[in-house]
Amino acid sequence: MSQATEAEHRPLIDATGDSRRPTGLLLVGIPVLLMAWLVVWPIINAIVRTIWRPDQTGDYGLDFSSYGFFFSDGYSLANLSITLWTTGVCALFLLVICLPIALYLRFAQGPLPGFVQALAIFPMFVPSIILAYAFIRVLGPNGMVDIILNSVGLPKIRTPYLTPWGPVIGLVWDNIPLTVLILLSGLGSVANQAIEAARDVGANRLQVFWHIIMPRISNSILVALSFSILGIFSAFTLPYLLGPAAPEMMGPFMQRTFREVNDLLNAMTQAVITFGFCIAFGLFYVRSVARNQRK
Amino acid sequence: MAVTITARPRIDGLGIIFTLLLSLAIIFPLLVVGTWAFTEIWRYPNVVPQQFGLRFWEQTLTRPDVWGALTLSLQLSTVVTLLSAAICLPAAYAFARMSFPARTVLFFSFLAGHAFPKFGLLIAIAAIFLQLNLIGTFWGVVLIQLVGTLLFMIWIPVAAFQAVDRRMEEAARDVGASPLRVFWSITLPQAGPTIAAAVLLTFVGTFYETEGAWLIGAPAIRTMPVLMISFINNQMVIQYGAVLSVMLWVPSFVALMFARRVIGGGAFARGFGG
Repeated sequence: MSQATEAEHRPLIDATGDSRRPTGLLLVGIPVLLMAWLVVWPIINAIVRTIWRPDQTGDYGLDFSSYGFFFSDGYSLANLSITLWTTGVCALFLLVICLPIALYLRFAQGPLPGFVQALAIFPMFVPSIILAYAFIRVLGPNGMVDIILNSVGLPKIRTPYLTPWGPVIGLVWDNIPLTVLILLSGLGSVANQAIEAARDVGANRLQVFWHIIMPRISNSILVALSFSILGIFSAFTLPYLLGPAAPEMMGPFMQRTFREVNDLLNAMTQAVITFGFCIAFGLFYVRSVARNQRK
Repeated sequence: MAVTITARPRIDGLGIIFTLLLSLAIIFPLLVVGTWAFTEIWRYPNVVPQQFGLRFWEQTLTRPDVWGALTLSLQLSTVVTLLSAAICLPAAYAFARMSFPARTVLFFSFLAGHAFPKFGLLIAIAAIFLQLNLIGTFWGVVLIQLVGTLLFMIWIPVAAFQAVDRRMEEAARDVGASPLRVFWSITLPQAGPTIAAAVLLTFVGTFYETEGAWLIGAPAIRTMPVLMISFINNQMVIQYGAVLSVMLWVPSFVALMFARRVIGGGAFARGFGG
């Protein structure tokens, strides 16, 4: 309740009188304060507490030693680089897989596109924990793929389970629906007339794609990639269940530092470092969403 | 069908290729899990299980930890969804209909949580919860899951309220209906279905929320996904995980059916910045 009353006391700067104004602030007060308390404050808290720390004598001062440790520790750096590698490979695969699907969905006619779209969006309704289990049953040791290969007399696969490719496959699978949806929404702004006009003057498919479609959807591509990169960089469940124990991605690494090693300072340092690596994508993503909403 | 112009109705080869590849990558793994759930014996080199049956359903469903996790997950999801609806729906109405200072800034402030990598943010929140002794408690998990629902539960209802035909509301006012009556009889029936879909998706999303529950709640708070993690990690009887997957997927299927109207519209992709 105190949160609501706080909201009521905010100064009403705007001069155009309207008696319902305090009610509006009151109604949005609780969620806004919850955001401030559990999103904005923890971030500030993590940054401040990792750089403004007491030294041996107990005096507070600027101290970057936990960051120094992270960037000089071989294991931490290995975890960071496996995370960067996974994120980059996933982004590349997502683009290569989802762009053709989205292009097909935008321009194809007939009964099949609806079905293809349903298939592409389906992973949205499969919780990643079930995905992890299905992955192990299909691609794991003695999984379904091995069974099928064995039945036709072929050797077993080298399973991606518990290798860096495990999280890559899982995360790409998980991110296909939103990437396709965002790209498709961007392709909606490509006018058929523009393509027909280009075709009329003799442009082939590749030229149409490169000169007409690409410039119009480049922003959507960046948004889709930013969104997936934000999700993949600090993914936890899939890397934890499907990835190697060492080096591990930042998500499992932070979780272990926090819960198992009980090292709050280094866990927060790792969190702030992931913020730093993703800040550009985060800001770009938020800016695009805000711009879209205002349209 | 006229076939005069450069004929379109030919075989959609690309579509068939996409359908086959996506079915193989997306439906096939789930079918394998489904098969495991109804299998009693399936030794390695055999392509089909030797014996089908429901034995493992009975075994899974009589495990006390499964029931405990299921009850806890349902409780958590219900509490989080109700709290979220109670604080977000009035806020959504205010954002859609009222004017107040800093309205735009506050509206977009809900994006802040999406500008940061999620697990890093969870660690930062956990650092705060540590001081408040909320780690390993029911309400700690409620809070962390509640924050995750805010954006969705405000933005979708805002769109729903804005889509309501204002002229109908004004007409009702003109014939003497009270504001409350207008809200109840005109606004709510029009915005209702979309809001119901948002509430349902929030419930299902909370039910499957894994990372916050694992980081904040484990080991004391064992939700269904957390239990599933331990089933996978400890390599217990394969069928337990399969049965649990099939059971876990049921709410998701309900959501799939209901959410089609929300996701079908471009509004959803636009909400994600498309």
